[in-house]
Amino acid sequence: MTARLPVVEGEWIDRSRGVPFTFDGQRFEGYAGDVPASALWAAGVRVLGRSFKYHRPRGVLSFANHDVNTLMQAGARLNFRADVEGLEPGMALTAVNTAGTAARDGLRILDRLSAFLPVGFYYKAFHRPKGLAPFWENVFRRVTGLGRVDFSTPRLATPKRYDFADVLVVGAGPSGLRAALRAGQAGARVVLVDENARIGGSLGYQRGGERRSRDTLVELEAAIAALPNVSVRPGTLAAGWYADHWVPLVDASRMTKLRAKAVVVAQGVFEQPAVFRNNDIPGVMLASAAQRLMYRYAVKPMHVALVLTANAEGYRAALDLLANGVEVAAVVDLRQRADDEAAEAAVIARGVRVLHGHCVFEAEARADRLVAARVCPLDDSGEPRTSHAIHVACDGILMSVGWAPAAALLYQSGCVMRYDTAVEQFVPAKLAPGVFAAGRVNGVHDLEARLLDGERAGAEAAAWAGFHTDPVPAVPGLTSTPSHPWPIVGHPGGKNFVDFDEDLQVRDFLDAAQEGFDNIELLKRFTTVGMGPSQGKHSNMNAIRILARIRGQSPGEVGTTTARPFFHPVPLSHLAGRGFTARRETPVHERHERLGAAWMQAGIWLRPEYYREADRPKAECVRAEIRAVRSGVGLIDVGTLGKMELHGPDAAAFLERLYTGRFAGLKVGMSRYGLMTDETGVVIDDGVIARLADEHFYFTTTTTGAAAVYCEAQRWNAIWKLRVGLVNVTGAFAAVNLAGPRSRTVLARLGTQDLSRDAFPYLGVRETEVGGIPARVMRVGFVGELGYEIHVPAQYGACLWDRLMEAGREFDIRPFGVEAQRALRLEKGHVIIGQDTDGLTTADEAGLGWAVRMEKPFFVGKRSLEIIRKRGARQTLVGFELDPGSSAVPLECHLVIRDGEIAGRVTSVLESETLGRTVGLVFVRPELAKEGTRLEIRVDGGAIVAATVVRTPFYDPDGARQEPEHE
Amino acid sequence: MSDETPSRTSPVARFFRAGEIETTDVRGMPVVVRLGPDDASRAAVAGICDLSAFARAGLKGPGAADWLRAQALPVPDTPNSWEPLEGGGRVLRLALSEFLIEDGPRGDAAARLSARLCAGIPQVYPVPRQDAAFALTGTRIGELLAQTCNVDLPGALAGTRSVVLTQMVSVSVSVLRDDNGGLPCYRLWCDYTMGAYLWETLAEIAAETGGGPVGTASVLREGGLG
Repeated sequence: MTARLPVVEGEWIDRSRGVPFTFDGQRFEGYAGDVPASALWAAGVRVLGRSFKYHRPRGVLSFANHDVNTLMQAGARLNFRADVEGLEPGMALTAVNTAGTAARDGLRILDRLSAFLPVGFYYKAFHRPKGLAPFWENVFRRVTGLGRVDFSTPRLATPKRYDFADVLVVGAGPSGLRAALRAGQAGARVVLVDENARIGGSLGYQRGGERRSRDTLVELEAAIAALPNVSVRPGTLAAGWYADHWVPLVDASRMTKLRAKAVVVAQGVFEQPAVFRNNDIPGVMLASAAQRLMYRYAVKPMHVALVLTANAEGYRAALDLLANGVEVAAVVDLRQRADDEAAEAAVIARGVRVLHGHCVFEAEARADRLVAARVCPLDDSGEPRTSHAIHVACDGILMSVGWAPAAALLYQSGCVMRYDTAVEQFVPAKLAPGVFAAGRVNGVHDLEARLLDGERAGAEAAAWAGFHTDPVPAVPGLTSTPSHPWPIVGHPGGKNFVDFDEDLQVRDFLDAAQEGFDNIELLKRFTTVGMGPSQGKHSNMNAIRILARIRGQSPGEVGTTTARPFFHPVPLSHLAGRGFTARRETPVHERHERLGAAWMQAGIWLRPEYYREADRPKAECVRAEIRAVRSGVGLIDVGTLGKMELHGPDAAAFLERLYTGRFAGLKVGMSRYGLMTDETGVVIDDGVIARLADEHFYFTTTTTGAAAVYCEAQRWNAIWKLRVGLVNVTGAFAAVNLAGPRSRTVLARLGTQDLSRDAFPYLGVRETEVGGIPARVMRVGFVGELGYEIHVPAQYGACLWDRLMEAGREFDIRPFGVEAQRALRLEKGHVIIGQDTDGLTTADEAGLGWAVRMEKPFFVGKRSLEIIRKRGARQTLVGFELDPGSSAVPLECHLVIRDGEIAGRVTSVLESETLGRTVGLVFVRPELAKEGTRLEIRVDGGAIVAATVVRTPFYDPDGARQEPEHE
Repeated sequence: MSDETPSRTSPVARFFRAGEIETTDVRGMPVVVRLGPDDASRAAVAGICDLSAFARAGLKGPGAADWLRAQALPVPDTPNSWEPLEGGGRVLRLALSEFLIEDGPRGDAAARLSARLCAGIPQVYPVPRQDAAFALTGTRIGELLAQTCNVDLPGALAGTRSVVLTQMVSVSVSVLRDDNGGLPCYRLWCDYTMGAYLWETLAEIAAETGGGPVGTASVLREGGLG
């Protein structure tokens, strides 16, 4: 560990616990508390990764969670952020995006080919000739990508959770700590989060060679720890902002969706790189990166440093270097004069040369290591005077030229930002309600002012959340400018990088603008600036400055790109963790399970599609179920049907309006088919409407339509204001359909109801008991046989099923599923809404015109149907019969072809054992709907099969089988 | 015709395996009293208990509140609140004119009310209640709620007789806070047909949290079912 410093006060490492690990196959040892990048840097490793496009060697840049060039692969784990994620014993780390290792990357040749890989080369070069596109795609897939996915990685059901707070403080630097303290002291329930492993922010590492900030941190930590109502959560990223102050908090193990009454954004700023040739060579880093290395991990960042600065923090960084034994060869200040005389004087007093009005023109490297900087004075127009260049030998360059606000959450909350030339950064101009900004993100940079600003924001947030606290005055303005407006130096050789994720140089922006992409959003998409894993945290501000200069505007006029959640990458394991997909089961579910049901989904319901039998294929099982219903007796669970109760003196009038049929005259004890259309006349639902009393109806809807019908009915009555009470009882009733010639015999064994034709006619409804269970029994015939739909309270559903199955045992009663039911109803020619209709089908088109009573004064959809009837139908649903011996059977959605044009489509089809032929329903153009019309249907593979339009029902057209005499 | 009294089935009955449970009968429905020897210790951490068996009655309509008063039942003053009944039951006001009445282990108000409620009472409409009803209890039950509901239930229900109508794991539920010998305890009701999914999901998270399904003995300490 060649570069490890003596013990540094406040260091994050535990020197008593060594942590062995490997990087690219080589063994290393760090300490507990280290991150891989700090341990490797301490071990003298400078090349930690390769750049994305040119495969240039890269080292440390920020140590602030956006060092994309230190992304590594840790076993199966991708995108391991080696600049912030903790080192673990035995880790086997490898560099990503290399052919070989970080030190020996076979693709480094690409750096020499960079002239052939300008911005936008993907868009221009590889789509012609078209035939080579697959070749290039293959090449790109092989040479790009950040790691290898292990597809055998087990799925993690990472839990998510919700949390709540009065005040959420994002960022635990000086202003965030003070804000949390103030809000906590006011009595608010405070959650304080910080993405770093420990709280403190810049108090811990921007020390300027003094104790003051460190002492402040210790005091604030102790004060907050004494408040039980303040929850401190380090290692937690506030990844976005959503309406009503929902903020996803991402930590190592999960995502927590926190809702706060007020949010304080104190996320600080991202230090921004200076742009000069070779500003990416390992050893060139942000000043704050060097400070983090020294004070968090006790690692000497370099032996001899050059500090390039344009603010007071650069001088303070130089003092930090000196305090930790680093020789400072020079401080190069872009400004003609420094505005913090005390810091400059302290640096000069330590014998450091200060060069005002100078820049770093280029960094020079040997064997991937920085060896010197070429420093030039700047002329009056800010251009380097290369004729006066001097060489400064160094193995490290610190860049401290400015900051960009970490304002993503503010933007997402709807905050209006403005560019403030006093601080040369975007600052909040108008905040969203309940959102407060504090500290550097608010344009406040001096430490004392940041503490005061945090206190103000904490007080305001607590007050917003309903806690009394005395207001704190706003902080005074700045006396110096922390960011340089143009920290960018041109170079004829290029390689002056703006975006380290995407290898974008100054020239790329000039080229993009020249091609017309001179709007910030277009520039982003063409160059891909800010679209890499660091999401523009170190590149967007310089990109805006470059575009502003190209267009002759200010950065404020150029504006920023849209900030969307998540502003920082979030592991897919967190997003795709435990999800909740609701499932609905009928009260008879367990009985179906025991009977071997094969399940299918109907909306969120689970329904038996059919019942499995050993060694019998599905089709045979279904045929056996159909035979049972046609020849004996079958039982199907129809509990998924929507079920509604309607009470009140206007109940019949309400149904008259809601449905197309007539219900005012429906006798008590009888039921009738009900068809529902929307305002455009399109069929949306159907069911059976039973009258239980003069002012009491019970009606069913389709399985998936229940919730929508209930909502729609409520909506209409909010308008009509009729005297009715509607109750959705879908889940409160179990329902089965006992069907088949033997159904009456079976039912008779369980009830006292007279089931004779006269006492209980077709479409009759009776409130009675079945097997001792209070029940509503309806004589309906959806499947085309004598049948009884029996509805009982849900808790009795299983008992009813058992008793019916027991009573039917003698007659070989058989449960049947949805598949058999579909076949049975198709033989009978019954339409299923949603299968035989679509979102445009009118009642007339579906052949349901008989259920529409246009003589009524009003029903929903009537007016549209009147118009449509005048215009004529576009299509008609008719029955068809396939020619015997056809080579193939059409499937649903296969097309009817006439004269080479589409003339219709199949909606249902069945190879009917009962009928001995293949029949179905098909939409055709009206002129093809006449009985006997020959149809050509195109099946899979393009073959044509012939069919004939026939009348429905296919089975029992007189309905004789629905009478008890057929027993 | 069957002579046997028809039995009622809880929506979560299938999750209890015979042999490891001690049961009793409440109005024709088997109720799990104790689920193995660790029942109480699970309940102390994060227990989920099935209380679907109790009788329930529901009604809505402009005349519902007056009709309830006429039956000598307490009527909560405001929507989303509840009042206790003798014998451990309660009256929940779910909306301005909608009520749920549930019996406790010893009362029968809901059962009697159910028999009286019928179509035809002016401006009173019966609402059949076949809910799945659960209790959640234990020191870590807040963690389960945090993983399953985006409403701050502990905050919203602390120290009040409030009822929150919300969603847990995509299921519509009514929730109130109860007492379980000093342990946090929440009672919740949902549609019968969503009960199995809700139970399965909550029981899985309860188990991860150090608890799991428990019997009524650990929840209804004074209820007479233990």
